[in-house]
Amino acid sequence: MTNNSQAGGANAIELAGVNLSLGQGAARVHILKDIALNIGSGEAIGLVGPSGSGKSTLLMVMAGLERADTGTVAVAGENLDKLDEDALARFRGRNVGIVFQSFHLIPTMTALENVAVPLELAGVDDAQERARNELAGVGLGERLHHYPAQLSGGEQQRVAVARALAPNPAILVADEPTGNLDEETGQQIIDLLFAGHATRGTTLVLVTHDQSLAQRCGRVVRLRSGHIVSAS
Amino acid sequence: MSVVTLTTKQGNGWRIPLQYALRELRGGLHGFYVFIACIALGSMAIAGVGSLAASLADGLAREGRVILGGDLSFTLIQREAVPSERAFLDGQGKLSRAATLRAMARTPDGKATLVELKAVDGAYPLFGEVKLDPPGPISDAFAQRNGAFGAAADPVLMARLDIKPGARMTIGNATIEIRAALTNEPDKFAGGIGFGPRLLVNEDALRATGLIQPGSLVRWIYRLRLPQNDATDAAAKAVTARARAQLPEAGWDIRNRNNASPQLERNVERFTQFLTIVGLTALLVGGVGVGNAVKSHLDRRREVIATMKALGASGRRVFAVYLTQVLLLALIGGLIGVALGAILPFVISWTFGAIIPLPFVPAMHPAELALALIYGLLTALAFALWPLGRAHDVPVGALFRDGVASQPRSPRKIYVALTAAAVIALASVAVLLAYDRRVAIIYVGVAALVFVALRFVASLLMAIARHAPRARSTVLRLAVANIHRPSALTPTIVLSLGLGIALLVTVIEIDGNLRRQFAAELPAKAPSFYFLDIPSDQATRFDAFVRAQAPGAALDEVPMLRGRIVSANGVPAENLKPKDDAAWVLQSDRGITYGGDIPTGSRLVEGQWWGPGYDGPPLVSFEKKIADGLGLKLGDPIVVNVLGRNISTTIANMRTVDWQSLGINFVMVFSPNAFRGAPATHLATLTYPAGSTTAQESAIIRAVAETFPMITTVRVKEALESIGAIVANMVLAIRGASAITLLAAALVLGGALAAGHRHKVYDAVILKTLGATRFRLLAAYTIEYLLLGSATALFGVLTGSLAGWLIVTDLMHLKFTWLPLPALAAALAAVVVTVALGLAGTFAALGQKPAPVLRNL
Repeated sequence: MTNNSQAGGANAIELAGVNLSLGQGAARVHILKDIALNIGSGEAIGLVGPSGSGKSTLLMVMAGLERADTGTVAVAGENLDKLDEDALARFRGRNVGIVFQSFHLIPTMTALENVAVPLELAGVDDAQERARNELAGVGLGERLHHYPAQLSGGEQQRVAVARALAPNPAILVADEPTGNLDEETGQQIIDLLFAGHATRGTTLVLVTHDQSLAQRCGRVVRLRSGHIVSAS
Repeated sequence: MSVVTLTTKQGNGWRIPLQYALRELRGGLHGFYVFIACIALGSMAIAGVGSLAASLADGLAREGRVILGGDLSFTLIQREAVPSERAFLDGQGKLSRAATLRAMARTPDGKATLVELKAVDGAYPLFGEVKLDPPGPISDAFAQRNGAFGAAADPVLMARLDIKPGARMTIGNATIEIRAALTNEPDKFAGGIGFGPRLLVNEDALRATGLIQPGSLVRWIYRLRLPQNDATDAAAKAVTARARAQLPEAGWDIRNRNNASPQLERNVERFTQFLTIVGLTALLVGGVGVGNAVKSHLDRRREVIATMKALGASGRRVFAVYLTQVLLLALIGGLIGVALGAILPFVISWTFGAIIPLPFVPAMHPAELALALIYGLLTALAFALWPLGRAHDVPVGALFRDGVASQPRSPRKIYVALTAAAVIALASVAVLLAYDRRVAIIYVGVAALVFVALRFVASLLMAIARHAPRARSTVLRLAVANIHRPSALTPTIVLSLGLGIALLVTVIEIDGNLRRQFAAELPAKAPSFYFLDIPSDQATRFDAFVRAQAPGAALDEVPMLRGRIVSANGVPAENLKPKDDAAWVLQSDRGITYGGDIPTGSRLVEGQWWGPGYDGPPLVSFEKKIADGLGLKLGDPIVVNVLGRNISTTIANMRTVDWQSLGINFVMVFSPNAFRGAPATHLATLTYPAGSTTAQESAIIRAVAETFPMITTVRVKEALESIGAIVANMVLAIRGASAITLLAAALVLGGALAAGHRHKVYDAVILKTLGATRFRLLAAYTIEYLLLGSATALFGVLTGSLAGWLIVTDLMHLKFTWLPLPALAAALAAVVVTVALGLAGTFAALGQKPAPVLRNL
């Protein structure tokens, strides 16, 4: 078992003895093996490893998108094992911001509406106003009413970042956020993520193949075949 | 840790689902056209049928007085009102008397035809207007001039005899001159369907014919117009009650304006129910399309759903968003359908108004339209809730693992329960609002069974394909694999195609059977003629005459009277609670006979026959089914009114009767002594062993009309043609409603195939990349669709034939002949359409270069 923890401060994420298998029968694969990891509040973590090492799955477990078969997962002081699916959804809406490699904006909603979704779902009164501010914050104040199809890839990802940051989440997770972007645009997105992390004190977990990007994080956790092999 | 607490308000109810549903629809209704069309077609069928029926019912109600010819009518059979009865009627308001009977009209050049003769008095009509061409008062038109009485004739009669106003003809002993064409007879529906065209004369003319003899089949109808200030329903009921109390022995059939033509109303209601069932089938078939469309929509929205869940939406909220969307779409479809259904009565009135033989008042009927909308929404819910329930559990992981295929599984229990509730609600509305609940329950049961059976057929096909030995041909292997692979179209194609073919075959079988029985051919050994009103004293001479005219033909003759059941088992007829299929026996007078032997065409099934020499108390033999329908058994006392006299008898035995032989048969046959001394006329049939030619028939009509002017000859073929014309209109309506259902089935099939188009294109492109030629792919898809289509067609033919048999025998009470060739031809056509539709979508993809498609996948 590998136990990596950051000393000092309360932990935003605590994983202990986490195992996860996916698939059924002969196709079942043991993806996460006995993972133990603590991430301090406000820390920035880079998750790296070869394809199939379990990075994205670990991210999903942290974001409450996937349930561990065994072990405990505590995020923002909440033990996720104890939450049912609906409670998990509410928890995510308030505490976790997610940025996907493929943006995953809702094509039938404008940029403004996309950003307002987590706020509206959480029942925030001034959802639209706050969404407007978030979009202005990522430089899209003039593109509020554009649909995803009318935006460039970089702009779409900026909307996704604004959407992830809008509820002021305790945890911000990003899965290869620059994977579908050119270098310059990718850099802008990373800057936005780190700015959000810095100014809001949000814990940032970043899955990436890019070593230089990982190095911008305070700590790098390396995975191989479902195991944490190092955390430096 | 810096977590900003969000200021929230609890429970924003339906605002967010509605908001999100509307946002999703902002891009237009693309992808929902089949959904909307399915609901629109079904709702249109139900709204249209309901509106038409309501317009007809309104017409019948509004025109009740006109149809009846008065506020009240009192009908007597074979006799006029006696002075005390006449005095009673005269005391209640303005009275008009009419007499109707069948008679033969002969022209000077020897042509003869059956007419429905109606003699009216000077007060006729009390309501409505008689229209003549050339116009003029009827008193003038009917007056006796130059040795002839005037008459107004149905234009059909004038065309049949090729005569114009001014032509003369003989009826009985009277000379009648046609003075005008009868273009409107306000009360023509009161008497039901006539077998001949109408000839309207005055009473003097009728008496001059000499046709009114004791026992002749004349109906005397006394119509009352209540005083203007007292023409209420209550007043009409009071008069009825007084008539029954003061003249209990009259034996008349009393009707008021609210039940002017109960038989017509019953037929309209029954036919409406039948068409509603066809409309409901359109909705059910459309429901399959709704289910497919929702499933395919949610499959496409999987990523969006997962995204929403990743952003904090609970499964329940996702369900609420898409449920709202489904309801909005169903509402759009329902409203389109209802709008089209609402204008149907007006369209029919504009296009067919002139030939609709019923009082028809086209109008908007909000209740019928609301009901159609409810049917549409309930159907959408019944078919959409299941796939919607699955959306609850779309895993967020779908965003991270594109390759993970969706695992179809049952939704959570709550959604299963909601689906069941919607299905039960739909079935309950269909049953509770049905005219005949038994039929509705059978329909619901059969529909459920067909759905389950089709699902079973699909599973069976998939299982067979899965376990079939591995074919050596790649093409065949690909075709078989396509049938059973996880996202195969098999269940949806089998369901939509199976329902379509089953319905098509059902309609073909009903259509064919109705046509065979009423239009195409007579039953074997059916008589060619009925001879009515043969006076007793001429029976022997008539017998000899006909035998001489038609050597080799069989003449069957029985005495006949008309009688009404007054009470059974001590219960007055109006208080009896007969089953639907026996109620007609109590509606008005019926033909009755008496004799010492069991009538031909009857079979004794209960009790003992009295025998030729019986001389005890009057006995009656009942037709078994009717007796069962009236709740009667052996030994029960029955009182019948014949010629104004109540006769008490006891049920001695029961018979079964083959009505479809068209021979002489009666529900009630009495022992010979029951009507001793009563002036009966005779009824005869003439049957040619090998059928008769038109020349033979014309010769007999002419000869009998010349020698026995008092005897009415009914040509069976002509009578059947009259019914056949009505049946043809019915078949047209059934075909119209069924066409909507078939259109829905084709839409559903097209939709199902289109839903699978994405997979097919993907497969085709990948296979082409790997070296498959277009021909091999085309061959594989053709075999796949052929296998699916043929297996489904087989099931459709079986189910459709079974449904056709059930409807023809159980609902229409007719003999069923299976017509395999048209059924198989229809099934074959459906299979060809399926293969063509299936290949049409894939064909375009086959022609494309793989690379551009692959880049866009």
